[in-house]
Amino acid sequence: MDTQRYNQLISDLRSDYRPQREWGEGKGLLMVVGHFLVGIAGGAWLLGTLYGSAWTLVLAFVLGGLGGLVHLAFLGHPERAVGMMRHWRTSWVSRGFVGLSLFLLGGVLYLPGQFVALGAAGPALNLIGGVMAMLGALTIIGYMGFAYTASKAIPFWNSPLHPALYVAYALRGGIAALLIVGAVKGGVPAETLLKLWIGVTAVVGLFFIMELQGAATGGNVAAKQSVHEILNGRVSMVFYGGTLIVGLAVPALLLATSHAASAAVMALIGIASAAGDFFMKLSTVRAGVYLPLVIPARHHRRA
Amino acid sequence: MRLGMVIDLKRCMACYGCQMSCKTEHGTPPGIFFARVLKREEGTYPSNRMIFLPVLCNHCEDAPCVDVCPTEASHYAEHGIVDIDHDKCVGCHSCMVACPYTNRYFRDEKQHYFGAAGPTPYEVARSDRHPEGVVMKCNFCRPRLAEGKLPACVDNCAALARTFGDLDDPNSAVSRLIKERGGFTLHPEAGTGPNVYYLAP
Repeated sequence: MDTQRYNQLISDLRSDYRPQREWGEGKGLLMVVGHFLVGIAGGAWLLGTLYGSAWTLVLAFVLGGLGGLVHLAFLGHPERAVGMMRHWRTSWVSRGFVGLSLFLLGGVLYLPGQFVALGAAGPALNLIGGVMAMLGALTIIGYMGFAYTASKAIPFWNSPLHPALYVAYALRGGIAALLIVGAVKGGVPAETLLKLWIGVTAVVGLFFIMELQGAATGGNVAAKQSVHEILNGRVSMVFYGGTLIVGLAVPALLLATSHAASAAVMALIGIASAAGDFFMKLSTVRAGVYLPLVIPARHHRRA
Repeated sequence: MRLGMVIDLKRCMACYGCQMSCKTEHGTPPGIFFARVLKREEGTYPSNRMIFLPVLCNHCEDAPCVDVCPTEASHYAEHGIVDIDHDKCVGCHSCMVACPYTNRYFRDEKQHYFGAAGPTPYEVARSDRHPEGVVMKCNFCRPRLAEGKLPACVDNCAALARTFGDLDDPNSAVSRLIKERGGFTLHPEAGTGPNVYYLAP
């Protein structure tokens, strides 16, 4: 720990609202990047299967693999990662690891059959791989929100809406992946996807507003501080610039001004939407502040 | 037997003796405090005062850090002590964001108090044994307990503000203090069942 980080830690420990820096800052940024990649991978696999887009499945697999590597790079001891399967009964991080392993193994079995004939073993590999990958995809779509909700120290994350929000992010990421693949390879129903993007984006926005409103009105002091950090504090630039402008205003403008769903427009909407999701996750993670340690008011002696 | 601690905030004078004795006992590296003292000014002049709150791992009965740990590195040891098996810890930090008492620290790299001057002989002897890339926290001085001693912060509290003992024994000093003086825990709403109690200032 260098002097600057040591001084920052001491300053954090002294502050009323200690910002969490474990996930989202320094090496912790890898955690957000990992969640971002894995979230898109899960959503892309789900929607790629739904729309029969083999190239979207390939993209999902690559993003899942990258996400896994980024997660490993974040760990203090990546060589012990296999041990993370041990505590799946109560740990969402463990469940996520199991899910991602299942997804990648299933992808290895399932994907070759989408491009080449595998002979007699083909149908069995397709079935086993397909089931494994879909189970893994559903797990990785779901686990992230729950991993944050299980964090009792960060009241802003400790919300029942957080898992729903992360599922919606994954679906939005899946649509973004399909749009990008459609722009490059074709073969996806562009108009339907753009309508779906509008619908899912509306759901993401609604969930996010509900979460902010719930924290600001019914949350404790730490949750309220997190809302302040997002709207008017140290992560507001990421939120307004990244989430609202890049992730929402740019795609909305493209949708409003483009009459036909051209490849370039689809690709741009997909990229901007995915980038917006990344910044939204980043601002939510960075806005987390720890519960302050205080003596309950009823135990105070009058001064 | 369920080991626990009672901290009398009326006795605590914020001398940092607990923090220093803990650092000395464990040789914790810079930025890692198994025990620390929070100070906060309350009220406005002339009705203001300083509030002191010594904090450490609460060794919760229903510890969220144990639940979220993917490798079972965070675990319940004997007598309700919550400890970390550093050989299992992958350094995912999930226990740190799960602990409502923020008493866990990540040691990312070897570090010394005097930077370029290198480690002192004390640091070589005490600090360098701690592994890197893992989360660290108070374990109620398990090695001292095994030798029949009290935790270092209890033994070295000059104001005798800390009492340590068996919370399951209704006649133990800790149980009596909690009962007679209305001991309370921090963040009871978190539902973690802390085994560190406080007596009102």
